[in-house]
Amino acid sequence: MSSRNMSSDEHALHATYMNEALAMASHALSTSETPVGCILVHPLHSILARGLNATNRTRNGTMHAEFIAISSLLTSSLPGSLKTQTWKARADMLRECTLYVTVEPCIMCASLLRQFGIRRVFYGASNEKFGGTGGVLDVHRGNGKMLSALGTSSGRDEVSEGRDGEEEKEREEGDYEVSGGWGREEAIVLLRRFYVQENGRAPEPRKKGERVLRLDVAPLGEGVSS
Amino acid sequence: MSTLSTGPEHDASPIIPIPGCLIPLKTTLETREEVKTLRVHVTAVRPQVASGTLGLIRTLLPKDGGFDLQHLRRFAKPETLPASVVEEYTSLSSSRAEGGERVIFLILAATSLIPSSALAESLEAHLESKVPLVEISVPLLAPTSAAQAVAWSNEYWPCVYKKSNPFGPHPSLVARAQEEVEGGSGRWMGVAWEAARQAADEGVGEGVGVCVVERKAGGEGRCVAVAGDLRWKGWGGRDQGGSGNVTAHAAMRAIGMITNSLSQAIPSSTPTIFQTSQHLPLESSPLIFPPDPDGYLCHDLEIYSTHEPCVMCSMAIVHSRFGRVVFEQRMRATGGICADGEGGLGHGMWWRKELNWTMLGWEFVRDGDPETKRLIDVDEHLNA
Ligand SMILES: [Zn+2]
Ligand SMILES: [Zn+2]
Repeated sequence: MSSRNMSSDEHALHATYMNEALAMASHALSTSETPVGCILVHPLHSILARGLNATNRTRNGTMHAEFIAISSLLTSSLPGSLKTQTWKARADMLRECTLYVTVEPCIMCASLLRQFGIRRVFYGASNEKFGGTGGVLDVHRGNGKMLSALGTSSGRDEVSEGRDGEEEKEREEGDYEVSGGWGREEAIVLLRRFYVQENGRAPEPRKKGERVLRLDVAPLGEGVSS
Repeated sequence: MSTLSTGPEHDASPIIPIPGCLIPLKTTLETREEVKTLRVHVTAVRPQVASGTLGLIRTLLPKDGGFDLQHLRRFAKPETLPASVVEEYTSLSSSRAEGGERVIFLILAATSLIPSSALAESLEAHLESKVPLVEISVPLLAPTSAAQAVAWSNEYWPCVYKKSNPFGPHPSLVARAQEEVEGGSGRWMGVAWEAARQAADEGVGEGVGVCVVERKAGGEGRCVAVAGDLRWKGWGGRDQGGSGNVTAHAAMRAIGMITNSLSQAIPSSTPTIFQTSQHLPLESSPLIFPPDPDGYLCHDLEIYSTHEPCVMCSMAIVHSRFGRVVFEQRMRATGGICADGEGGLGHGMWWRKELNWTMLGWEFVRDGDPETKRLIDVDEHLNA
């Protein structure tokens, strides 16, 4: 999936949704959580669920935004006919849903999304440290199975060919499409603000120089556990 | 003492320790067959000027330009080298073939640091003789066993085995830890299997279970959480199809149980799908010790799992900073822990430095004929 082949309307729509995810990340920042946010969007029902990182509040390192959003999809009150649906029926909707998340899903979340059968993922910043959709592993394609002894995982260099309706040859059950870089600068600025904020709270203040808020965006993401 | 820690004086316990042993896991790096090599310039000099030549190199390229060559012998007598190295050198220096002149070979520098012409020029200026340079490959990293050191010495250049392991945890560290955990491992596996059985019997989940153990340095472990798989609870059962509640895998539940009891944790005020409360009988045994309320995540705890955790659970275990992981049943199609094994995913997530946290890991192998192992049936494509 590539933004090159998108109409400007389509492009704008994705950008709008990513802003919703960024708003969640912003909200996380204001509650001292790592600022990662996401939304689940259904083609008919629009935004079905939102999530933001809750690892600090819960003290549970697995409570990433993606978990919160899926939990919300299955348990919160949904409009109209969706209201009475079972967990199973609601989870089935994920097959139609796009996840917009401000930082590339980590390996854990990439697997969660794979097992729940998400349709596709749009993310902002790359996650160089823990990324599960390209950063470290390619869980979205063949569960990231290592193809060679050199540790290159499947498909890193292959271009996704699925958009012409042509079946990808090696597409496996559970594989999903991924597109990165949406709202990346904003996502990274939020992360930087978080690190400055948290460092300011640390009992032993770091050197001044390290606390300067850098709003320029480096080539790589910060590698957070999103 | 408890139903969980069966001792000879407590025969009432329903949990029977499983006799077995632990096999240390392999890391992704240990699994890669290829030897990573480095191209280096070597030459041969008369023994009298050998150390002087090395001194020159040290001045020219301090600290070998950042390459760690500690696992390689710096100097080597011709008879200890692969014949090809000596032959190539001899062919270059044939103009002065003086039969019996004794020389000693030495590694000068990585070829990426300096072109051979520049290197030869610098050396010749000081040694006042021609310095034929040969380019060879040497192992980039230290050998991980004495046998490997011998093999590499025969193939590349004399290597030294220093009992270190750049590809995984230090062997002595693994051995010490194994001594600590092996004795009790059958008991904890027994607990994990009992949780698995209860989940499967009740129909709320797949037959997968885990047991989390806390251990003060060198001491006896004690169980701080037990969890079975609960993916079909709230889902309407397995008949509904689909993956079930993916967040209710046994490992995810155990992590939630531990962190729920941390003093600063704020529970969710709205309903969630996370199955982090005790549900199966074994999970709320009064004999499970409360975890340290001031702990951090699951820092340095041990997790015993009936099955190799799926990719999600494996990364959750890494995120939660467990110290040790033990499992019995390999899950080739879906497991995230193992690095090796035909047809496996190869992720080796128990020990990957790039993930910022490494632990120690073992496969539990029960005694007896594998055919008669009484394991609970799960689909081989199941995400445990
Ligand atoms: Zn995540
Ligand atoms: Zn799992």
